[in-house]
Amino acid sequence: MRVTRRQTLLGAAAALLPVPARAAPEYRLEPRQVADGVWLIEGAQESIAPANGGAICNVAMLETPEGAVVVDTGGTLRHGAALRAFADGRLGGVAASLNTHHHPDHWFGNGAFADRPIQALPGTTAAQKAGAQALSDGLYRILGSWMQGTAPLAATAAVEGGDMTIGGRGLTVMALSGHTGADLALIDQRTGTLIAGDLLFLDRAPSFPDADLAAWRAALARLGGLPVSGTIPGHGPFHRDSRAVVQTLAYLDAFAARMDAAASLGLTPAEALAAGPMPAFAHLGANPAEYRRATVQQWRAHEISALPVIGGSV
Amino acid sequence: MAAILSHLLPGGEAGLAGFGGGLTRPDRLDSGMWDLHRADLLGVPGVWRTDPGLRLLAPGNAEDARHVPVLADATGLDRVERMVVTIDYSPFPLALVFHPGRALPLLGFGVKYEIAGPIRASALTGGEWIMGGAFVDAMGGGCSAPAVTHARPDWQDGFGEMRARLWPETGRLRVGIRHPMDTGLADGVPAHHLTDLTLTDAAGAEIARLEIHEPLEENPVLTFLLPPDLARGPVGITARDTSGFRFSGRVAA
Repeated sequence: MRVTRRQTLLGAAAALLPVPARAAPEYRLEPRQVADGVWLIEGAQESIAPANGGAICNVAMLETPEGAVVVDTGGTLRHGAALRAFADGRLGGVAASLNTHHHPDHWFGNGAFADRPIQALPGTTAAQKAGAQALSDGLYRILGSWMQGTAPLAATAAVEGGDMTIGGRGLTVMALSGHTGADLALIDQRTGTLIAGDLLFLDRAPSFPDADLAAWRAALARLGGLPVSGTIPGHGPFHRDSRAVVQTLAYLDAFAARMDAAASLGLTPAEALAAGPMPAFAHLGANPAEYRRATVQQWRAHEISALPVIGGSV
Repeated sequence: MAAILSHLLPGGEAGLAGFGGGLTRPDRLDSGMWDLHRADLLGVPGVWRTDPGLRLLAPGNAEDARHVPVLADATGLDRVERMVVTIDYSPFPLALVFHPGRALPLLGFGVKYEIAGPIRASALTGGEWIMGGAFVDAMGGGCSAPAVTHARPDWQDGFGEMRARLWPETGRLRVGIRHPMDTGLADGVPAHHLTDLTLTDAAGAEIARLEIHEPLEENPVLTFLLPPDLARGPVGITARDTSGFRFSGRVAA
């Protein structure tokens, strides 16, 4: 074996310096019961980053005699395994899990739940299969070793909107869209808790890679009209009022207005991006990064109406 | 701050400052392919510098490798003869050559990114090259993926459609052309891209000219800056592509 000069230097440095071995990353969960038999494992209010291991989405677990109903499975296999260990140790195992939508922070932990049904809206499953490789490449690039062993596993069972019962626990499932092409939200009938997926964000900037703003507004109008006792948003704290609906809708409107204003003033997307988020929302978790991403994702839809057709192929 | 318009949005001035204002840090960019591209694409091996008169805005991450938005603003420099946009690790490192002529040396555009690395705008002024650049992290694949339009059976519908608008109060001109900008690297899709675009005044005399190469984004939208007399319009826009198609339009304020 040839040893390069660099390896020699690194070896010498390692021998001389008292460098502590870097601990393998691990997920430390803090599950909290927010209603009768409703557990919340809150995600970091950040973008996916090595510091959080991709554990940024909220995970909800509903206790049943047959084990937990797990709503979203985490952002990596090991995140999923940590969630599974909690369900197995404290909630009598897993009855079934659900994926609210196809963004990877919500379902890349599916591998730890593969022995039980994993349910999703058909549109979500299709998007999971279509996007798995690209999403996986992206997350390996950002998260590195946190992703060890993660092979995206799409949902294995279809769920439709309407009432259903798992392990004796009644759930009202709503098939909505707007954050993505297929967004599942559900109400736990025993407690009246709304588990909203990423249709709702609270104190964290909404993400827009697959957003349809008109559909999202319609979904928010529906969620805002529901008589619920408490809400678990996709990102952000559990709360008992309508704050997340109000804030998410205000963010969508303010973001769209900012893009329209920028396009009608003749700004380039680079200038709109560099300007940063709307001042009222600059403090939200994951901003300004999420605003910058959203500008690239949404710019074209706003630009086109600011530029009239003036010519063509001759 | 120069001719950058971020401040027109609420909070935009502070936002732009937080973004770095488009200033170039030479310590981070005197690397990569710069020495080779300087020799091969600018034709000047040695002399260059950075200058706060040349600002370049680009995102730190290419959220979409097919559309990375960039603004190069050299309006803080005197007498810019031409601006050359290069991308360090692109299979097509030469992206654009802008001859501002009677326009101001500002160019907004979007590029495809094949791999993470710096993008640079170099301005030739008084025999000296000023470089402004930024590092763009990218998953890549932007140059080798087929244009999105080819996923549709009707991709030729609307081909060549030209959109534009003048803003006399700021001197801005934005021009969009519907074009797949095929690089030739996508499987089974031959190269087919715009090659040049010219702006003319009411009398038909040239204002500015842009040489276009493969990295320009699909359905490109370009941004120019005109002096007050020209920004009142009308401005003629003509363009050509590798297949001999010609595109033409006229925009008034």
